[in-house]
Amino acid sequence: MDDRTRGKPGSWRLGVLGAITVLVVTACGGAATTSAPPASAAPPASEAPASAPASEAPASAGAGGTVTVGFISPTTGFVAALGTDMKRGWDLYWELNGNTAGGVTVETVYEDDAGDPEVALTKARRLVEEVGVDMTAGPILANTAYAVADYVGGQGVPSFHISGADDLTQRQFNPLVLRVGYTSSQSNFPAGKWAFDQGYKEAVTICPDYGFGWESCGGFVSGFTGAGGTIKEQIWHPLGTQDFGTYVTQAQAAAPDVVFIGSAGGPDAILFWESWTSFGMGETPLVGNCCFADQVLLRDQGEAANGIISFSYWTEGADSAEVKKFVEEYESRYDEIPSLYAAGSYLMAQVIAGALEATGGQVDGENFVKAAQGLTFDDSVYGPISFDDTNNIVGGVNREHVEARADGKFWNVVDETIPDVSQFWTYGKDAFLANPVFSRDFTSQ
Amino acid sequence: MTADRTRTVAIVAALAVAVAAPFVLPTYLVTLLSLVFIAALLASSIDLLAGQGGLLSIGHAGIAASAAYAIAWGTTESLALPIQLGLALVVTLVVSAVYALTTMRTRGIVFLMITLALGIVVYGLALKLSTITGGQNGLTGIDRPEVLASSSAFYLLTVAAFVLAVVFRAVLARSSFGLVLRGIRESESRMSSLGYSVTRAKFLAVMLSGLLAGLAGVLIVWQAEFISPNVASFNRSAMAVVMVILGGTGTLLGPLIGAGVVVGTEHWLSSYVERWPTLLGLVFIAVVLFAPGGVVGAFSRWRHGAVRDRQHAEPGTRAALPSLLEDQGLAGGVDGRPSEPQ
Amino acid sequence: MSLEFLALQVLNGLTFAALLFLVASGFTLVFGVMRIVNLAHGALYLLGGAIGISVAAVTGSWVLGVVAAGISVGLVGLFSERLLLHRVRGRELPEVLLTVGIALVIADLILAVFGGNPRSADPPPPLVGGTPVGPVTYPTYRLFVIGFAIAVGVILFVVQQRTRIGAVLRAGVDDREMVSAMGIDVDRVFAGMFLVGSVLAGTAGMIAAGLLTIRPGADTEILLFALVVVIVGGLGSIGGAALGSVLIGLIDAFSRVWLPELSYFAVFAPMAIILVLRPAGLFGKSTS
Repeated sequence: MDDRTRGKPGSWRLGVLGAITVLVVTACGGAATTSAPPASAAPPASEAPASAPASEAPASAGAGGTVTVGFISPTTGFVAALGTDMKRGWDLYWELNGNTAGGVTVETVYEDDAGDPEVALTKARRLVEEVGVDMTAGPILANTAYAVADYVGGQGVPSFHISGADDLTQRQFNPLVLRVGYTSSQSNFPAGKWAFDQGYKEAVTICPDYGFGWESCGGFVSGFTGAGGTIKEQIWHPLGTQDFGTYVTQAQAAAPDVVFIGSAGGPDAILFWESWTSFGMGETPLVGNCCFADQVLLRDQGEAANGIISFSYWTEGADSAEVKKFVEEYESRYDEIPSLYAAGSYLMAQVIAGALEATGGQVDGENFVKAAQGLTFDDSVYGPISFDDTNNIVGGVNREHVEARADGKFWNVVDETIPDVSQFWTYGKDAFLANPVFSRDFTSQ
Repeated sequence: MTADRTRTVAIVAALAVAVAAPFVLPTYLVTLLSLVFIAALLASSIDLLAGQGGLLSIGHAGIAASAAYAIAWGTTESLALPIQLGLALVVTLVVSAVYALTTMRTRGIVFLMITLALGIVVYGLALKLSTITGGQNGLTGIDRPEVLASSSAFYLLTVAAFVLAVVFRAVLARSSFGLVLRGIRESESRMSSLGYSVTRAKFLAVMLSGLLAGLAGVLIVWQAEFISPNVASFNRSAMAVVMVILGGTGTLLGPLIGAGVVVGTEHWLSSYVERWPTLLGLVFIAVVLFAPGGVVGAFSRWRHGAVRDRQHAEPGTRAALPSLLEDQGLAGGVDGRPSEPQ
Repeated sequence: MSLEFLALQVLNGLTFAALLFLVASGFTLVFGVMRIVNLAHGALYLLGGAIGISVAAVTGSWVLGVVAAGISVGLVGLFSERLLLHRVRGRELPEVLLTVGIALVIADLILAVFGGNPRSADPPPPLVGGTPVGPVTYPTYRLFVIGFAIAVGVILFVVQQRTRIGAVLRAGVDDREMVSAMGIDVDRVFAGMFLVGSVLAGTAGMIAAGLLTIRPGADTEILLFALVVVIVGGLGSIGGAALGSVLIGLIDAFSRVWLPELSYFAVFAPMAIILVLRPAGLFGKSTS
């Protein structure tokens, strides 16, 4: 230590130590109250590690008493907002349904994957090997989803996902993996077709330069060119782009009939929209993907986003009993309109509950996933849905637009529903899978 | 001497505990410990440069990632194991050479920034060359060799690898090359006027450190049986550096302690504490305030009961260009004691 | 490529440069001049944005948001300097660990208090819309950011080069004992300048919130850029930081258009090249 500072009284150390202790206690104290689902009948979720050494055998059926689900989501890290929404949606379902299904109690153990595949794997391992969960749910980011699905499936445990990563139910299909959601390309096929049917002949696409972006744009390009349109230019922006000015001005220069934005949602959507509006592009027709005009954008930019057209499976202003109920309950608790991440997790819980009903509370590997796959919903937060034979949703895609609600908040309402859209669009499974997964080189069907 | 014997006993006991762990602990914890040892290995590679040479690299995850991707690609191409390992070695050497060649004429903050840039370039390549690397989605199914399939067997390998690194660094520290490196750390001009080739020494040091990092990379991909560009991320490199400082630079076990704290919090404590990043940050702050030489330094201080020598240069003699680490901060050679013949 | 398009990209590059400079200016003061490794600078930026956005939302005044951001973060910075950083002055490794710890705590507390939703700040009415600039119309707020950055740069430069405070600061860095032997409380001057650096970081956060988003991870991203700018420009040089910002901003903008394949390397590769060729940076003083 510096001579000059050594002479100072050491009481500051006690002060700092005291402050640190208080903060540490608060941080630890926060754990007990925030990890358990609100008003849950089940014991607190974050319990001490099991003292008995866990075996590496697949999780056995949790018959009769309790079924444990390992819920993995990014509650810290750069997509923390998504993780929080996911948890809320999931918890809400169980709270409304008393934490039971099929005659068993459903208990959730939560893990934070921090948006990192390696952490996600460690947590998945803990859930399967130490806690001995009967199944896992989540995570959201594509690479974490692939990693977890691969590991959990390899352990003989079912895993449920809402992540859109295409190959989870395509080229990397696993009978123990079920996606309660749509692939990243799925909802964009009808978007492309619709755009062409509107009379737009040339399109420019803007998507992030990685798997999700390639798949999103791939869906639009496939639908658009398949209907007869041409892609004038494809603009790819790197992950973590801060300033979309360059990309917006490029689109401006290309002067197409329509622009498709395949946003990863969240900050990307906000940043893109800020640039789009400030460069005066408001007059150019714009079509967004599932995640562009989601609530994560609208909570921040609602007014500026008024009127945006997008294609999604989740429309929070839809005129359906299921959606209304979900939105009402969610909003009364969190004072926010739920995003698609919350809705997806809610539906995931509902599907698992349905499967438990079908199997009478038995969870044994593939049979349980089959039971889930066999479910059909006449109405759900995503509308009427069922599952195809690679465990992906077949359901409606809504053309929606943003408008103001009576109370001034902004949300999406349905203009048209294209029913029964599958991940393979109109191409049929085998023909579709014969092609490689969408990449940035895909410019025409 | 009794001090030496106590030390030997302590080392043997520690090794025994480490080796016995998989027979006592559940598999999940064994896997966690593997992560700790692998992180400690990467941190050791950084400390080789920092502790001996006074060169701090904040891009070493890039070297590890390169080796990891080599193995991953080799596995997807179904190459035989020896060929995969050979490929990983070649890639490690090439990438380390790039690091070495670009940095051997620099030191301090400039060295830091170049390694930073290189790490980011590797990350960018991992994202871009998606046909080989799987891009952001990564590659699944990178199965370990059969013999390492069980978590216990793999864990023992990680312990062995870390012990190898420790021995390697100890030997290096006691060797004449280690002396040369420490001489360079103290004063490059003096060393070159004595006839040593400073650039050649630095080149070699980076290459040696790169070998350790490459080994860590192979273990990383085998541990997860999955790889994504995150392995090369700036966060990974930065955290590895933090582990080194936390444990105490220039110490043999410092990297292990640092790795234990960081990996333990990120991967284990985070299951129980929601605000774990705050906790981790507070730990860092506490260590700096109460154990400025790192944990190992504080431990030695406590053990020897003596007041540590000043660990800073006299203010006012700073060079105009801050040469990070040049005349301070490092606790000398092995074990926190000033470097002297043992 | 038309003239309009070219002009737009140049302006895009300058906007990003301005933003970089605002963040790097505080960092350059603290790191470049005072040689304090403050890796919490990005977290201070994030805190400024978070506080500024909330204050602006509650009071309806953007200006109040900017002021609140600057003052509150300045205080946080001052606190951490006086209580913590002060103890490890001059020892870079402990500074690294300490400031990483502070950054982690600040960033996580922001997440806990404000939530993870990405947020931005609406520019005040007079700055909304576009302004004609030569052959194009460019968003007014972006022009404001450029102007604000220039103003800040000029003020910093003048203070550092021409005023007594600046002289004391520069002398104190070079030879602390001599300066305090002259009766000047170097500690106070350093603390004061750290306060200024923190105020700049917080203000930059709020200003940036009108253009970018405040969200987890933004702190690390901006810190990396600030490091690059300060290194490229040369430590200890406000002018260098300014030119470094412009260089990086323009490289970033044009590489996205012409070399989208190399988007990740576009900023860091030139830095590495410059460093290999000219280790002191563009304007830094070289060691004897």
